Amino acid sequence: MTVVPAQQTGGGGSSGLYDVLELVLDRGLVIDAFVRVSLVGIEILKIDVRVVVASVDTYLRFAEACNRLDLEAGPHKSPGLPDMVGGITESGARGKSKGALSGAAETISDAFKQAREEGESEPRRPRKATAARRKEEQE
Amino acid sequence: MSTYVYAISASSHPALPEGMDGVGEPPMPVRVLKEGDLAAIVSDAPEGLRPKRRDLLAHQNVLAEAGAAGCVLPMRFGSVAPDDATVTGVLAERADHYQERLRALDGKVEYNVKASHVEEAVLHRVMAESPELRALAESNRRSGGGSYEDKIRLGEMVAAAVKAKEAEDAAEVQRALAPVAAAVSVGPESTGWLVNVSFLVDRGTAEDFVAAVEEARKSLAHLELRVNGPLPPYSFVEPGPAEPASSTAGADAGAQ
Repeated sequence: MTVVPAQQTGGGGSSGLYDVLELVLDRGLVIDAFVRVSLVGIEILKIDVRVVVASVDTYLRFAEACNRLDLEAGPHKSPGLPDMVGGITESGARGKSKGALSGAAETISDAFKQAREEGESEPRRPRKATAARRKEEQE
Repeated sequence: MSTYVYAISASSHPALPEGMDGVGEPPMPVRVLKEGDLAAIVSDAPEGLRPKRRDLLAHQNVLAEAGAAGCVLPMRFGSVAPDDATVTGVLAERADHYQERLRALDGKVEYNVKASHVEEAVLHRVMAESPELRALAESNRRSGGGSYEDKIRLGEMVAAAVKAKEAEDAAEVQRALAPVAAAVSVGPESTGWLVNVSFLVDRGTAEDFVAAVEEARKSLAHLELRVNGPLPPYSFVEPGPAEPASSTAGADAGAQ
């Protein structure tokens, strides 16, 4: 994707718009003498969610992607396979937090979609499982 | 009628966006309240204001317009005062603080940078860097994809490697752009990006910043960099001097 760097995102439905609206919602001056409108459904976004979510879904997807990956093609061509495998055993204890984060995931674009739907006075659609949406976004 | 507040500026701001469309349906016209050397950009607050896309955009458009012409302190979306007098009262009470912020941010704009990995490219990278991952992937492939446990094991290691790469690349993006910025503000993490960071940039050196972004795009080809700017300095306005640390939560609770 190419974005013109010195661009003022003022309209349209690009992901750049969401990127700017995140600032509008989350930054800027807050004055205690004023009240802020309720952001129910949007405040949830502030939950700290890592980009790579530790879940079985993610692991299987990455494994599949690696199986499909042609390491001998493209600009990121890797060096050939080493003759011998072994000696590297550092990964055993990783990833014990399987799924711990996945329930908390609520992406900002979800909320904007929701906000937009409300803006168009449509009934709110039930949300898809977050895992499925995350998968869509990463593909 | 309560008052919706968009921004605070100097009353000498050359082009306050008076009469522009604000939030609401139909849009409320933007007004300007002056108090001493300060001005507040406001409109009437519509009934039942919610963070709808149309209203978020209206807020952003008013700020973009005002910010393009001179320095403003942008308010977070959804700030509503009981009436105009409360707004001018706040301006009077905290004049020194707002004037200091306006001076500090004068001539500066914000560029927000978000980046995510191009998946295939980052998988190439982590595989290229780890003989162990390559060996596992190869052995899985030879056995027709491997067992469920094999796949989980490979996937888990790849996920850990990609995650490490995210932290590395987030630092790399900051390292590449911070030298051409006056200040840096790291935004919240979320799904959808591996780095979310705003840079305060002098208008006069914005060209240099944009050039540095282009350089970073070339040297970090496995990243998709999304850059938005110039924007009003959302991420560089401090909380007011008299606010307790928990003021945001308190204000939100009060709104419900």
